[in-house]
Amino acid sequence: MHIMEGFLPWQWCLLWWIIAMPFVILGTFELRAMIRKDREYMPLLGVCGAFIFILSALKLPSVTGSCSHPTGTGLSTMCFGVFITSVVGGIVLLFQALLLAHGGLSTLGANMVSMAIGGPLAGYAIYRLLKNTPVNIYITVFLVTAVADLVTYIITSMELALAYPAQDGGVLASFVAFFVIFAITQIPLAIVEGCVLALVFKYIVQMKPEILEKLNVFSPERIEKARLAQESSEKL
Amino acid sequence: MIRNHALEIITLIAILAFISIFLVVSAGGTHAFSGSDDVGSQKVAELTGVSVDSIKPLIPQYVPPSPEIESTLFALQAAAGGIVLGLVFGYWLGQRKTAPGYLCLIT
Repeated sequence: MHIMEGFLPWQWCLLWWIIAMPFVILGTFELRAMIRKDREYMPLLGVCGAFIFILSALKLPSVTGSCSHPTGTGLSTMCFGVFITSVVGGIVLLFQALLLAHGGLSTLGANMVSMAIGGPLAGYAIYRLLKNTPVNIYITVFLVTAVADLVTYIITSMELALAYPAQDGGVLASFVAFFVIFAITQIPLAIVEGCVLALVFKYIVQMKPEILEKLNVFSPERIEKARLAQESSEKL
Repeated sequence: MIRNHALEIITLIAILAFISIFLVVSAGGTHAFSGSDDVGSQKVAELTGVSVDSIKPLIPQYVPPSPEIESTLFALQAAAGGIVLGLVFGYWLGQRKTAPGYLCLIT
C-alpha cells in the first residue's frame, strides 16, 4: 500500500502529513502515560507491534497476479486504540521508507493515514459496534483485523485518485482503477490475516486474560467465558 | 477435540486455500507477481502521461542497491518482530508455569 517517494504532488504530501501528525502526537502522549502507569502492558504492546512488523514484511501473491502485504494493525487497535497504533504503525513505515525505499519521507504522511490511522479507525468502529453484542469475540477480532487491512488499501486508492483524477471520469474513475490494483489484491490477504490474528488472540486469552481484562478489550465476563470454554473442552 | 481446535483448523484451511489460489493463478503463467505498489506507480505514470523512471523523489532517499540487500532488510524486519513475539509468549508461558492449570497450554 505504499505510495512511492515522489508519486504524490507536494501539496497532497503536506495535507496528509498535517492530518497524520495529531494522531501520532496524541499517540506518543498516550503511550508514555500508559507505560508510566503499568509496565505489565509492555509485553502485550510488544506482541501487537511485532505482528505489524512481521506481517507488513510479508509480500504475498494474490488473485490479481501481483503481490501485496497484510498490515497487522487490527490487534493493536483493539488492545490499545487508534492513537497508539498510529505510532507503532508509523515506526514500521518510517523503517521501510528510510531503509527499503518502500514509500518515502514525503509520502510517509499519506502512508500513515492509510495504514496506521485510517485502517485502524475503521477497525475500531467495527470493534466498538460488536464489543458488547453477543457476537463471538474471535469473529469480532477477525472482522476488525480484516476490515483494518482492507480499508488501508481503499484509503491508498483514494489518496492516489484524489491526486490523479482520470481525464475521463475524474476522481471516481481513477479510484476504481486504483481500487482494482490495491483492494482486490488485498481481499484474500485480509481474510487470512483475520484468521491468524483471531488465533493469536485466542492464545492471549489463554495465557494472559488479566491484561485483556485490565485494558477492557472485552468485558471480563466474556473473556472469562472464552477462557473457560477452552479449558473445559480440554478436560473432556 | 475438533471443537477445541476449531480456530486452528479454520486458519489452516484459509492458508491452504490461499496457497491453492496462488498455484492456480501462477499456473496461468501470465502474471509477473510484482508488488502492487509498483503496479500502482505504473498506473500513476499512465494517468499523468510520464514514465515511472522520470518521476523523481521529492526528498532524496536511500534505495537498497540490489534485491538481495532489500530482502535482507525485509528479513531483518520480520525477524525483529519474531524475536519479540517469541520472547513475550515465552515470558507469559513461564509466568503461567508457576500457576495451576498450566498444562492446558501445552496440550
